[in-house]
Amino acid sequence: MTSTRLIHGVGLRALEWLHARRDGFRLEPDADPEVGLMDRFKPIGELAVICGVIFREGVAGSRQSQLARQLLDHVWRDTLDGGRMLVEGARTEPISPIPFEVYLPFRELGYEQPDIERATRLNHRLGSWSAVEVLPVRRLGLSAFQRRFGLRPEPGVDEATARTWLARTPEPWTVEGHIAYDITHTVFHLTDWGERPDRLPPHIAGYLADWLPVWLDDWLELRRWDLLGELLVVDACLPRPTFDEAAWEGFAAAQQPDGAMPALREMPEGEPDDLFDLVYHPTLVAAFASALALSRSLSALTPEPS
Amino acid sequence: MSQSGLPPLTGAVRDLAHEVVSALRGGGHLAGSTALADDELGLAAVRVLGADVLLPATLAGYSLSPERVAAFRTATLAFPAAPGAAPVTAWSHWGMRRALRTLSGPDEDPALPDTGEPGASWLHSLPWQRFTHQLAVLGALALPGLPSEVATTAALRPVDLARGFVRAVRRRDWLQAAGAARWLALLDGVPDTLGLDTGLDFVLLMSDDDPRVALQAHAARHIRDERLLDEGLRA
Repeated sequence: MTSTRLIHGVGLRALEWLHARRDGFRLEPDADPEVGLMDRFKPIGELAVICGVIFREGVAGSRQSQLARQLLDHVWRDTLDGGRMLVEGARTEPISPIPFEVYLPFRELGYEQPDIERATRLNHRLGSWSAVEVLPVRRLGLSAFQRRFGLRPEPGVDEATARTWLARTPEPWTVEGHIAYDITHTVFHLTDWGERPDRLPPHIAGYLADWLPVWLDDWLELRRWDLLGELLVVDACLPRPTFDEAAWEGFAAAQQPDGAMPALREMPEGEPDDLFDLVYHPTLVAAFASALALSRSLSALTPEPS
Repeated sequence: MSQSGLPPLTGAVRDLAHEVVSALRGGGHLAGSTALADDELGLAAVRVLGADVLLPATLAGYSLSPERVAAFRTATLAFPAAPGAAPVTAWSHWGMRRALRTLSGPDEDPALPDTGEPGASWLHSLPWQRFTHQLAVLGALALPGLPSEVATTAALRPVDLARGFVRAVRRRDWLQAAGAARWLALLDGVPDTLGLDTGLDFVLLMSDDDPRVALQAHAARHIRDERLLDEGLRA
């Protein structure tokens, strides 16, 4: 059984690294319009989602909670200018769902920006929003986010789920990197980022219980830490998580002393901003996997009420 | 068929495997007609493939010439499992002796007395990765109607073996994948989502017609087809 101390340590170190390098969550307001502003919103939205998980699960120590709150305040107030940069993004690309997707986790944590809400409600009435051609897993994500915002998703979550790779439970030996990321994100959206493991349909939970151990073994051996971390999140979303000892120990050993998690194999080198862009995601994933696995393993220790 | 550029034993094993596959697929007409090479290399090749050399008879029921069976017996005698040999070596030899007894009738062969099964306790504690590897090496024991402690242990862990098949395919270890598939073809309790039928075809396609892979894969398919037929008849 993987020790809770090891799992906890991975999350704390990851958050310390993200906090120390919080200026890496930056926008490029002068970006070429062809490239757009939106690219740099993604890390900020991901940070908000993961901090939300840390608060929600309530297993982080007071230091971690403090770091997470300071990080969120920093990116909302300084990087997003109190949400006004999201409005700017929505003015530039009115039909893009990205400002809404980045905004939602902030809103759930008590931050507000009325103009984004107005734009979201308008976009939701457009045929274009539900018709825009995206991958099935992304469509599921949009539907799940609309539900969380309080809108009626179109298509509905069940219909969007049915179109994903994972819902069709295909041959597990065909899974390569891209499919594996589709699998992890389908699980994230179906469970609301680990909040509702019970929302995983039984046939998907059974399929994952059968085959996840193989994928963990595979990507541990390939030392693809970013993907391995996401698969450890998936494990923590299952009805009976395994807290795979070899995978967790390998993952923890790959983490740098300062908390950074390389995306694959060794830690890369480069200028601070470039380095941040290369490793912020696996480091966020490490914080996510740690919070969720810790929470599930602690609740497994709690005796059932008799 | 000779395999240029391969070590002699590897080439001899491939030739022999190719011949067994041809016999399995071609209705057995080759199985009894070709003499087994009884030189050192030929006998060593028989020892490597083990009981699978007799597969056209033991799996498909085709008859083999007495000369062929005699040469197989010579190889079995020439390469006994040494005391203290690795379990897979001991079991492979057990499989050869067992196949000989199946073909030559109930009378005891004084040179090859029935010493019983070697014991399978080493398998019990193996994690699924290593478990699958060992079972795949012992693919020759995966035969309908060949009970053994190895087969009993395999039947207890179909999901572990299925995971091992997936791992072997991902690692492009086609021989291990085909050996695991042969056990899976025999067992109940394999998850339907594995996709064993297409998996077997995938392994055959990707392995560039390696005869040793083809031998395991065609044996697996033969076992599976017979099971499906039996189930169809029972239904």
